[in-house]
Amino acid sequence: MCIGEPMDPHTKRENEYGTLTDSKYLHQVTTMDSEMASRRPIIDTPPYYITLMTYLNYLILIILGHIRDFFGIRFQQKSHRDIMEYNGYAPWYSKFESFYVRRLKMRIDDCFARPTTGVPGRFITCVERLSHNHNEIHTFPGNTQTCLNLSSYNYLGFAESEGECTSAALKAVEKYGVQSGGPRTQIGTSDLQIQTERMIADFVGKEDAMIFSMGYSTNANFFNAFLDSKCLVISDELNHTSIRTGVRLSGAAVRTFKHGDMDLLEKLIRDQIVMGQPKTNRPWKKILLCVEGLYSMEGTLCNLPKLIELKKKYKCYLFVDEAHSIGAMGPTGRGVCEIFGVDPKDVDILMGTFTKSFGAAGGYIACDKWVIDRLRLDMTTPNYSEPTPPPVLAQIIASLETIIGKINPGEGTERLQRIAFNSRYLRLGLQRLGFIVYGNADSPVIPMLLYCPSKMPAFSRMMLQRRIAVVVVAYPATPLIESRVRFCMSSSLTKEDIDYLLRHVSEVGEKLFLKLNSGKSSYDNSIQRWDIEDVIKYTPEDCKNNKFFVN
Amino acid sequence: MSDITSGHMAVPTAIPIPSVIIATSSAAWFYLHQGLSKLPGGHHVISYIEKATQDDPYRTAVEASLILYGIYYYLSKPQQKKGLQSNRPNLSKQEIDSLIDEWEPEPIVIPPINDKETQETYWRLSKIPIIENHGISKYIDFTRDDNKESFENVLNLASNNFLSLSETEEVLQVAKDTIKNYGVGACGPAGFYGNQDVHYNLEYTLAEFFGTESCCLYGQDFAVSSSVIPAFTKRGDVIVADDQVSLAVQNALQLSRSTVYYFQHNNMESLEELLEQLNDQERKENLPAIPRKFIVTEGLFHNSGDVAPLPQLVELKRKYKYRLFVDETLSLGVLGNTGRGLPEQFNLDRSTSIDITVGSMATAFGSSGGFVLGDTFMSEYQHIGSNAYCFSASLPAYTTTVVDKILHIMDNDNSTVLNLQKLSRTMFHFFNSRVQLNEYFNITSSEFSPVLHLELKESKRIERFGYSKDTLFTELANLQKRKISDVFIEPFENEEIFLQQIVDSILVNHNILISRHTIVLKQETLPIVPSLRISCTASMTEDELLTACENIITTINKLCTA
Repeated sequence: MCIGEPMDPHTKRENEYGTLTDSKYLHQVTTMDSEMASRRPIIDTPPYYITLMTYLNYLILIILGHIRDFFGIRFQQKSHRDIMEYNGYAPWYSKFESFYVRRLKMRIDDCFARPTTGVPGRFITCVERLSHNHNEIHTFPGNTQTCLNLSSYNYLGFAESEGECTSAALKAVEKYGVQSGGPRTQIGTSDLQIQTERMIADFVGKEDAMIFSMGYSTNANFFNAFLDSKCLVISDELNHTSIRTGVRLSGAAVRTFKHGDMDLLEKLIRDQIVMGQPKTNRPWKKILLCVEGLYSMEGTLCNLPKLIELKKKYKCYLFVDEAHSIGAMGPTGRGVCEIFGVDPKDVDILMGTFTKSFGAAGGYIACDKWVIDRLRLDMTTPNYSEPTPPPVLAQIIASLETIIGKINPGEGTERLQRIAFNSRYLRLGLQRLGFIVYGNADSPVIPMLLYCPSKMPAFSRMMLQRRIAVVVVAYPATPLIESRVRFCMSSSLTKEDIDYLLRHVSEVGEKLFLKLNSGKSSYDNSIQRWDIEDVIKYTPEDCKNNKFFVN
Repeated sequence: MSDITSGHMAVPTAIPIPSVIIATSSAAWFYLHQGLSKLPGGHHVISYIEKATQDDPYRTAVEASLILYGIYYYLSKPQQKKGLQSNRPNLSKQEIDSLIDEWEPEPIVIPPINDKETQETYWRLSKIPIIENHGISKYIDFTRDDNKESFENVLNLASNNFLSLSETEEVLQVAKDTIKNYGVGACGPAGFYGNQDVHYNLEYTLAEFFGTESCCLYGQDFAVSSSVIPAFTKRGDVIVADDQVSLAVQNALQLSRSTVYYFQHNNMESLEELLEQLNDQERKENLPAIPRKFIVTEGLFHNSGDVAPLPQLVELKRKYKYRLFVDETLSLGVLGNTGRGLPEQFNLDRSTSIDITVGSMATAFGSSGGFVLGDTFMSEYQHIGSNAYCFSASLPAYTTTVVDKILHIMDNDNSTVLNLQKLSRTMFHFFNSRVQLNEYFNITSSEFSPVLHLELKESKRIERFGYSKDTLFTELANLQKRKISDVFIEPFENEEIFLQQIVDSILVNHNILISRHTIVLKQETLPIVPSLRISCTASMTEDELLTACENIITTINKLCTA
């Protein structure tokens, strides 16, 4: 364990959660009106030469990679053991499948999986590392860098080493220990589990809920409890891998629709009800619509009112994964249902995770009580797998109570208002500076497009030099040419932190030629190239006004 | 024929071309010429066409028709796609609407129909113990069935925390120190700043402790197998699996896309025979590349408590060039003199005998999460290829430091492991020596397993409940094949209720908690029967355990003979 030099408590606190500098820098989110809810997101596109450059960029990388593979396999057999048959054994993975990882990702591996230490709060402490052989082996000189944290899913700033949540977790360690015993049905159910389930069900507005120790596994082991190959899943094309794995495990048939395209979805549903199962043409047993509340790579929301309308019209079931939206979005943090002002009871299954806004770990599924009761019997996770450990449960309970105002009344509201302001300020600021930014106005995930794959490491490294930790994402998590940097906003940042960020992003963006905004997705349809000083001067006020946001 | 022989051959000087074609092609050429001459570089194309037509007009015709066909093909693509789904009935809008109206889906899950039904399936929920106000330790207080039943100071023989080391004060102190420095959640996936120094340290410590090159941490033990196997297997790869593997591995095999063969549980002749067959088959097929081949088994079997015969497995794997995958969820920290698992039990070296080891930090180590041990290539590839690793958040920091500490304790002092093994053996022999019990129950677990599985004898099952392992499996497979949502098999339910009666009776009469081996029948794809599981932990004394065992046996005997 890496424990830094002792810090005075105030600095430590500030490093984890910056104190609000002015009450101006808050924004209360309101429920969307129907006009806003029905808007279709407008996606800005780069000039053609950027697209061309991006493809060229990939082409060069791929050709170079193949040349290296060609000579490597012939002359450096020892270092290519991983892709060659060896001693009668097939390689662990094929040359072709692993090409992208070995030849493209490996070159920029220093931008991924940077080890950190301490609390991933307002600042994150990155452990410095060096590589002398193109990221194959990293060495650690032993220094750390404290960076502004735009990388963690610490939306509401509950990653803290002191405060209510942490003391609750500490108390849980004393009272309950750290172990979870065994499966929920055998020994692993404690009153803490029941309490958490009760609270999360009340919070999201469903009758009952179940909690699990891992978010990915919540989805991955969920669908096989009630779907089989005579059921159909209609899934948004950008749904998370966990949902896809879960559906694949269930054996259900899958049809995908273009991200957010409700007309296509309706056509697809009609078509599928008429056509039924392939070959036999028997009707489907049930049809489940799978969407995410907030898409973590796009920052876009699902069109929930329309989905509910469709679901009711066609007797389908609706599953909404709120991994990123629960806690962080909506007037009181109750996620995507609250943003659109729809009744959570209209959504059949609400799923979410505790990793993000709650600063804990695990996931939940909330449904009607009779559904949950059945799922408890039929799902594999409660019967075979480990349950959520007590300190994590305590963290969930304490953070939930803070959000609803049971602990420190007012603190939860402030956190929610801060993340709303911060997200809007950064989003509008970036747009005005001339960057292409995707997503909904209030989304705490702010993806900024880089396009060329080689700009990813450049951006990430330049930001690290400026002591800002950012996440760059590329194919396969995004479409091939839409490499991007994903800023994850947090309540723990102050307005001044965002000023600092904007100044540096502007400067780096200038150097890397990233200001490509065509004005297509800006409020006045004009190309935005504001000066940084103007942005900082006017945006904090403007960002509270919905008219400046198209999406 | 006659013309040729008679010599009247009228060979035309040129093949006549219908005037229509000449007219259209001239017109086409005129416009094309006009169009091309305006384009930059168009004169190159014109001169090429002119020259080619002069040399070989038929080639030009072929080329032109090819281009036309290309255009036609490109434009007609969407229609062709439609053509593939040509079995679509031609329905009017009204007909479609009425079809949509008529469609009645099944309820999202099977609804409880009436009170009888509710009792038949939902009794399981009311039997779940809810531990009150304290952690899981040797003695627990709990309630059941919405506070209707409450029990105090119950001896806990249901826990998986075999070593109970994470209950000690020094380990809890480590957890607290970590939370004070790192908070609780890691707030990010491993690839994006979620892996902290403590995660990397633990990966290093685990690899070192178990003697492998590398290690990779996962968020939950149940999710590990089903993510690792599919990461390395593709269509055409071969998996040979034990036919009693746990559900976690069954899920993995289902997701693997590979061809899966089963050998009889722990039967090495069956395995060798199968491998030999597959070897022959492969030789005949003469594939361009060797497929990846895996033998999949478990260290301590989740469903029976058996130990896999590692030396023979290793021998066979080497002989037939298979890789060995062992799910050691229950055996790490339990088997071997120092708790280093299955290889240590058989005096083998892990790095050369097992290629992929899946372990859990939630069982013997009493923390949370899972991990995979193996060589560097394999571990590194998981960072991008294994879904549960790269699409999921890292473990909370404290869980890693707790395991780190426990490994440190185990490294210095193996007395806890030895104590656990002694207790396991005592329990096993105690049960095994009881003649009356053995008339009714088989003890399927090995003497090394801290979890003792009691399975009703097949003859008694037929006598009492009217079904056997085989008939249950046939019926289950039949229901699964027909995709019946409600898998309800009455004889199986009756046996489960009977086993629960035993559990309840032991609890009420002797204040001891054991549990049924909870399985979800509809998810199981391999033959399985219900069983009772009794697990001992290192925190117990031998006397405590023996008294409890005596009480358990008395109750079972009483209920079986009743």
